[in-house]
Amino acid sequence: MPGPGLITDYLTTLSGQLPAPIVEELADGLDQTRQHYLDQGMDPDAAACAAVAEFGEPHVIVAAFTRLSPARRAARRLLATGPVVGACWATELITGRAWTWPVPVVARLLLGVAMISVICLLATAAFGSQYRPVGRAAAVGCVGIIGLDTAMLITVALAVPAMIWPLVLAVAASAARLTFTVRTLRPVLTG
Amino acid sequence: MRAEELKGHLDALLLAALEDGPRHGYAVIETLRQSTGGRLDLPTGTIYPALRRLEAAGLITGSWSVVAGRRRRDYRLTPAGARALSGKRSDWRDFAAMVSAALEGRPCPDPA
Repeated sequence: MPGPGLITDYLTTLSGQLPAPIVEELADGLDQTRQHYLDQGMDPDAAACAAVAEFGEPHVIVAAFTRLSPARRAARRLLATGPVVGACWATELITGRAWTWPVPVVARLLLGVAMISVICLLATAAFGSQYRPVGRAAAVGCVGIIGLDTAMLITVALAVPAMIWPLVLAVAASAARLTFTVRTLRPVLTG
Repeated sequence: MRAEELKGHLDALLLAALEDGPRHGYAVIETLRQSTGGRLDLPTGTIYPALRRLEAAGLITGSWSVVAGRRRRDYRLTPAGARALSGKRSDWRDFAAMVSAALEGRPCPDPA
C-alpha cells in the first residue's frame, strides 16, 4: 500500500535522526493527521500524501528539535564560558612566566591541539542542525573539557608549591566548569 | 495565515489551546484550527518541537499514555504556564489596541 508506505518512509527518515520518544510522538500525530484526511473522504494514498505534506520537510523538523537538544545547549554554554576560564588561566600563565617553565614542547603542542579540537567540537555542536551529530560532537567535547580541566587541576596539585591569587582564580574557574560539565554529560548522552 | 506571520505569538496560541485541559499534539493543532476558523496554516511538524520547548521552559508538562496500542504524549498547562498565558493575553490586547489605533488614525486607548 503506497499510502502507509510513504508515512513509513517519512518516519524512517526521522527515526534515523531523532530519539525514539520524539519519533513516537510524531508517528502518533502523523497517524491522526492521516486519519483526519481519511475521514474527509480521501483515499489512503492521498491521505498519506496530505498528512506528510502537512507535517513539513523532515530536515525542518529535525533542525527544530536540534535547536532544543540538551547537547546543543550544553555546547553553547561551554563555548560562552570558555573565554572566562581561558582568561583566568592566561592570567596565571602570564604572571607565572609560564614560558620559562620546564615543560616539554610535545606536552605544550598536545595541550594546544587538545584545546583547539575541543573548541571545534563544541562549535560543531553549538551551530549544527543535525540532532545526532550535534549530540556526538557535544559529548566528545564535554569529555574533552573534563579531561583538560582534570589535567590542569592534577598538574596544579602535584607541581605547584604555593597558591597565589591568579592560580586560585583559575583553579576555581576550572573546578566550577568541571562540575557543570560532569552534570551536563548525562543529559547530553541520553538526550 | 502563514507560520512566519505568527512569529512571537505561537507560544501564546499553544498555551491558549491547552487552557481548557490536557491535549496531545494533534488535538492542540485541531483546537487552533477550530478557534481560528481554519485560517492558521502551520506546518504540523513544527508544533511538536514548540510544545517540547514550552515543556523545557516549565510552562507545560507532558506525560505519556497508550491509546489503541500507540504511545501518545499529552500536555497540560502548569501554573507558570497559566500565568504566562495571562501575561501574553494582556500584552496582546495592548499591542493590538496600539496598532489598530495607529492604522485607523484614532487615539490610542489608555492601557487598563
